[in-house]
Amino acid sequence: MIIEILEASFLVLTGLMIAYLVRHYIFTLAVLKDAGKKKEAAILENRVHVLSVSILIPAFNEEMVIGRLLQRMCELTYPADRLQILVVDDASTDGTGEIAEEFSRLHGQIEVLHRSEAEGRRGKASALNAGLNIVKGEIVLCFDADYYPQRDIVEQLSKVFEDPRVGAVQGRVTVLNEPENIVTRLVALERIGGYRIDQQARDRLRLIPQFGGTVGGFRTDLLKSLGGWDESMLAEDTDLTFRVYLSGYKIRYSNEAECYEEAVESWRAYWKQRYRWARGHMQCAFKHLFQVLKSENLRFRERVDALFLLNVYFMPVFVLFSWIISIPLFLLGPPPWLSLGWAAGIFSIYSFVGNFAPFFEVGIGAYLDGRTRAHWLVSLLVFAFLYNIPICTKALVDLFISKVAGRRSVLWDKTIHSGNGNSYIANQNKIPKRY
Amino acid sequence: MSEKRREKGDRVGVLAYKPIAMGDRKLELRSSHIVLGFSAAAVFSCAILFSHYVSVESVFMLIAFNFLFVSLTFPLNGSLAAKVLLLSAGNIIGVLWVFLSSMFVHAVADYFGAAFNALYLILGPFVNLVWIVTFFSLSLTVLASAKNRDRD
Repeated sequence: MIIEILEASFLVLTGLMIAYLVRHYIFTLAVLKDAGKKKEAAILENRVHVLSVSILIPAFNEEMVIGRLLQRMCELTYPADRLQILVVDDASTDGTGEIAEEFSRLHGQIEVLHRSEAEGRRGKASALNAGLNIVKGEIVLCFDADYYPQRDIVEQLSKVFEDPRVGAVQGRVTVLNEPENIVTRLVALERIGGYRIDQQARDRLRLIPQFGGTVGGFRTDLLKSLGGWDESMLAEDTDLTFRVYLSGYKIRYSNEAECYEEAVESWRAYWKQRYRWARGHMQCAFKHLFQVLKSENLRFRERVDALFLLNVYFMPVFVLFSWIISIPLFLLGPPPWLSLGWAAGIFSIYSFVGNFAPFFEVGIGAYLDGRTRAHWLVSLLVFAFLYNIPICTKALVDLFISKVAGRRSVLWDKTIHSGNGNSYIANQNKIPKRY
Repeated sequence: MSEKRREKGDRVGVLAYKPIAMGDRKLELRSSHIVLGFSAAAVFSCAILFSHYVSVESVFMLIAFNFLFVSLTFPLNGSLAAKVLLLSAGNIIGVLWVFLSSMFVHAVADYFGAAFNALYLILGPFVNLVWIVTFFSLSLTVLASAKNRDRD
């Protein structure tokens, strides 16, 4: 009986893994098919109505990086009279508030909201909600303090709102401090796969492009009607993605709207960041899975994609689980289909397609970006893959324990930004030295 | 800051002012390449299928490799000759790899018994990854370089 259960579990898990791998493959082919087409330019003069845009920048102790972002905000090509830039200083204890104030004095479009210790430090969602209460624009965009956008990013992001069915937009994130070390280089490769292929394919195939929490935004009315960001969620961005879809709107991804981020620079910081993402994503899966499956606002293909997207952080746990059960299954008495030859056959196909899938996705993304040297590191992504197995397993176990024990599951752990990315910006001499 | 880093920094900074910062390689999709690629893959797959030197599981692997490789690299820029050459090299390396690794697995399994087979079940995919992904990234580099030569 035990062997039969193990066999069934093993088959289900292998089937799930193969389904994800086929998905990677379809996404890559979809982007390849699209790569020869000409891109549409975001020309503001062609628009009937130039939307007013508010940019929210939540910041807690970001003095090392906030200066370069605000400097960039002053260089944006979008008409300044249609732009409101709101820095939410989340009770910072360093010079973040003073830097923002200094920019605000010099540039009328920049405003600063200072939160007291009593109000602030409750996470990014809380800071964003505080800002949402006072935004004036028809569109609200969000940028993290360590980001550095291209100058016409607002034009690029806002052009998708010409379609009334679109409720939100997501731009592309690329790594600014990529040459720093092996961690930043691998994160850069993950970003290439995630945005250049995954997000773009989901947009191209009209599936569910995901709002990533930054370099993106919403129709202000829609966001307010949804109640803003859910402060009880660790992955408030994924949560909002599904709330937008459930309310009947779509999200578009704009690959032409690029923004640089300062990636984590150590394996420890990588662990903390991915743990938060994994746990938050799993939290969203429990919250939205059944609503998504029965929603009439989603087409069948969107529901299928939502199923994959919501469960993506469970996959490393499933891989570990399938490894564990394959050993007793093999040693206790392999069933006919699991004799060495056929098992190796099944596993070989899986390993071939399986190992190949995420890697070819990243490889093709790097190729399309013209990143020839980046190809050479694709094989090393296996270390990041292996590292994600304990991260996601711990996230699931901790989430389970917090549910059982009834503890609050939101434990915001801020990513520290060193400001090393400043040295990769050509106009760094324009950023005042003290920042 | 090292020279290399300065160079990279300048590149990123300058590109950050452009609408498409990371560059955007345009593909000239040639259906003839894809059709010929799949034909070549079918020939290689049949040759492997009817050979007596490769085990059943390795046959599956190499057939999967052929069709995945063609579908992903033949739509890219570059000459047909380069692509067919890469496909042939992939098949030769693949056959050699599975031949050597199967001999290794049999030898070690004889010595350690069934426990090693179970271990190999888990390690196998990672061992295969060494040549598959490396060969794939090498092929992309070759094709990207070929494109640059064409442009120059």
